[in-house]
Amino acid sequence: MEFDLFLRYGPDLLKGFGITLLCWIIGSAGGAALGFVIACLMRWSAAPVRWVLGAYIELIRGTPFMIQLFLLYYGGPYMGLVLTPVQAGITSFIVYGSPYFAEIFRSGFQAIPPGQIEAARAIGISEFTILRRIMLPQTLVLITAPLTNFVIILSKETAILSVVTVPELLFQTQTMAAETFTYVEPFLALSLFYWLLVVLTAELGRRIEIRATRHLKRAASST
Amino acid sequence: MKAIITAATLALTAAVGLSQATPAQADLLADIRERGTITAATEMHYAPFDMLKDGEYQGIGRDLFDAVAKELGVKVEYIDLPWSSILPGLEAGKFDIVNAPVTMTAERMSRYHFTLPIGNATVALAKRAGNDAITKPEDIAGLAVGSQKGSAQLEQLKKFSEKLGEPATVREYVNIDEALADLAAGRIQAVANSMPLMGYATVQRPELFALVEPPFGDPKYFGWVARGDDETASLIEAVNAALLKLHEDGTLAAINEKWLGANPELPTEMPAVE
Amino acid sequence: MQFSFDVILHNLPYMLGAARFTLLISITGIALAIVLGTFICAARIGRSRVLRVLSGLYISAFRGVPLLVQLLLFYYMLPRIGLDLPAMPAAILAVGMCSAAYVAEIQRSALQSIPSGQTEAAEALGISPFALWRRILIPQALRLGLPSLINELILLVKVSSLASVVGIGELTRVAQNITGQTYRPLEIYITAALIYFVINFTLSQLGRYAERRLALT
Repeated sequence: MEFDLFLRYGPDLLKGFGITLLCWIIGSAGGAALGFVIACLMRWSAAPVRWVLGAYIELIRGTPFMIQLFLLYYGGPYMGLVLTPVQAGITSFIVYGSPYFAEIFRSGFQAIPPGQIEAARAIGISEFTILRRIMLPQTLVLITAPLTNFVIILSKETAILSVVTVPELLFQTQTMAAETFTYVEPFLALSLFYWLLVVLTAELGRRIEIRATRHLKRAASST
Repeated sequence: MKAIITAATLALTAAVGLSQATPAQADLLADIRERGTITAATEMHYAPFDMLKDGEYQGIGRDLFDAVAKELGVKVEYIDLPWSSILPGLEAGKFDIVNAPVTMTAERMSRYHFTLPIGNATVALAKRAGNDAITKPEDIAGLAVGSQKGSAQLEQLKKFSEKLGEPATVREYVNIDEALADLAAGRIQAVANSMPLMGYATVQRPELFALVEPPFGDPKYFGWVARGDDETASLIEAVNAALLKLHEDGTLAAINEKWLGANPELPTEMPAVE
Repeated sequence: MQFSFDVILHNLPYMLGAARFTLLISITGIALAIVLGTFICAARIGRSRVLRVLSGLYISAFRGVPLLVQLLLFYYMLPRIGLDLPAMPAAILAVGMCSAAYVAEIQRSALQSIPSGQTEAAEALGISPFALWRRILIPQALRLGLPSLINELILLVKVSSLASVVGIGELTRVAQNITGQTYRPLEIYITAALIYFVINFTLSQLGRYAERRLALT
C-alpha cells in the first residue's frame, strides 16, 4: 500500500466522486419521476398509449446502459444530435432508470386490493385523492426496499458514464491505475466511496420503511 | 455505524491481502518449463498487436509470442482480459506474463519487469479522411484532440501541444475506440496514439480516417511485462534472448512486415526511459 | 456514415457464441441468487439475532462493494487462502451472490407488506405454520415481489458482462474486441443490444406469465 498515492490522486478522486454523486442524484430523481409518470399512464390511459409505453419499457430495460449511452453520444451526431458528455450522460441515465422505476411503482399499485379502489370511487373520492391518500401510502411499504435496491444499483451504473468521458469516480480511479501501474489503491478508494453511498442510501431507505410500516405495526399491536 | 466499521475492516483486510507478495516460487522459468506451458494474458483490443479477428486471437503479439515460446520450447495459452484485471491477475499468478503492448515508462518499470522492446510506441495522429486542414502534427494547434487517459501517449501529446503557438484542447477517453468514434462523430479533429495503432485504424477504415505523418514527441517503445519480483528474472532473460534471436534471423522483421507493411527499427537493448 | 450490414453478418456467429457464456452465467446466477436470496431473507426476518445481524452484514457488503471489485477479490484473492476457483465458477458465484443480496431485500419487503392480521387470523383459526407459509404468505409474497424480482434478474443478465474481468469472453467483451479490430462500434453494439434484448424480453415475458398466473381474480 502506498498511502502517498491517495494524497497525489485525492483531489481528482474527490472531484470524480462529486460528479458521480451529482449524476447519480439527478439521474435517480429524474428516472423515478419519469418512471412514476409511466406507471400512472400505464394504469389510466388508453390501450395504444399502454402499448407504446410497454414497448419502451421492454426495449430500454432489455438493453445495456453502456450501449444506449454509446449510441446516443457517438451515434447521435449522425442524426444531427450533438450532446455534451454530461448532457448525454444524464439524459440517458434518466431514460435508462425509468422503466425499472415504472415497474416498481406498477407492482405497488397492483398490491392494492381492487375492492378498496372501487369502494373509494363509489363514495366519490377523486382519482387523484385515491392515488395520494390510498394507493401511495400502502404502496410505500412494498416498494421502498426495491426502490432502495435500484437506487443503489444506479449508483454503480454511473461508472459507465466514463465511456463518454464524464470524469466521474471510475474514470479518475482508472487514470490513477493506468498512470501509476497500481490496482490495490485505486480499487480500495473506489470501494470505499461506493460503500459510503450505499450505506447512506440503505439507511435512508430503512427510515422511510419504518415510517411507512407504522400503521401495520399499530394495527398489529391494537389487536 | 457498526456495519460501516465492519465493512471498512473487511475492505482493508482484503486490500492488505491483495498487496501481499505471491507465494514463494523459486524460479518462474523453471516452473514454466516443467509445466510445458506458458500462460500469457493480453487485452485483445490493440490491433495490430492483439486483436480478436474471426473468433481467433491474431496480430503481432500473437505471432511474436508464438515464436518466442517456440524458442523457449513450451506451448502457449493465451487469455484475454480487460486492463482492470491484468495487474491483479499477474500478481495472483493466474498467468506468467503480459504480452500486451505496454508502453515503457520509468514509473511502470519501477514496479514491474519489462522485456526488450517489441514495438514502436511513438505518438502519431489520426484525422478524419479528407480533412486538409491537418497535414502535419503542428496543425493541431487550437483544435480538439483525443487520446487515451493514463497513457504515455497522452503525456507526449500534452507536452507537444504546450509548445504550439495555440495549444490543442486535449480530450481524454477511457478507450481509444471511443476517441475514434468521437473523431468519426466530429467532436474532435484528431486522435493521438501510438504509431502502429493509428496506422492500423486508418488502413482498416480509409474512407473514415487518415494518418498524419510524421510521428512526434520522444521515441517510445512497447514491451511485455512480468511481475517485479526476483523469480521472473530468468524468464525475462530467456524471453529477451529469444527476441534477440528473432531480430537476427529476420523473423521479427517478417512479422512486422506482415501486419504493418513496414519494419520499424527496434533497439536490441533496454532503452533509457525518463 | 456507411452502416455496414456485412460487418454484422460476418461477426454475428462469434457474438452468438459469446452470448452462450452470457446465458450460462445468467441462468446459473439467477438460480443461485433466488435460492441464496431466499435463505438470506429468512435469516433477516427470522427470530435469531445472530442470523439477523449476519444477513444484514451480507446485504451491506454485497450491495456496497462494486461487483467489479467483488469479482477481482473472488478470482484473484481466494487463491491466497487456498481456494483456487476456475474463472466460470468464480464469475457465477460473484454474480449470484451479489444479486442474492438484492433478491433478499425484495422478498423481505414483499413478505413484510402482507398485513400481519392475516398471520394472526390464521393462527387463531388453528392453521399450521407450514400451511400458513405455503398457502397464504408465499403465494402473496411471490405476487407482490415479482415485478421487482424480474427487474433484478434482468439487471443480473446485463451485469454478467463483468465476467470479462476474469477472462470470460462473454457478449459485451467480444463485442468490444470486435469493435477494436473492425472500428465499427455502432454496428457491433446495436447487434449486441439486440441479443441482450432477446434474452431479457424472454425473461420479462416469463415474469408477465407468472404474474397472470398469480394475479388476484
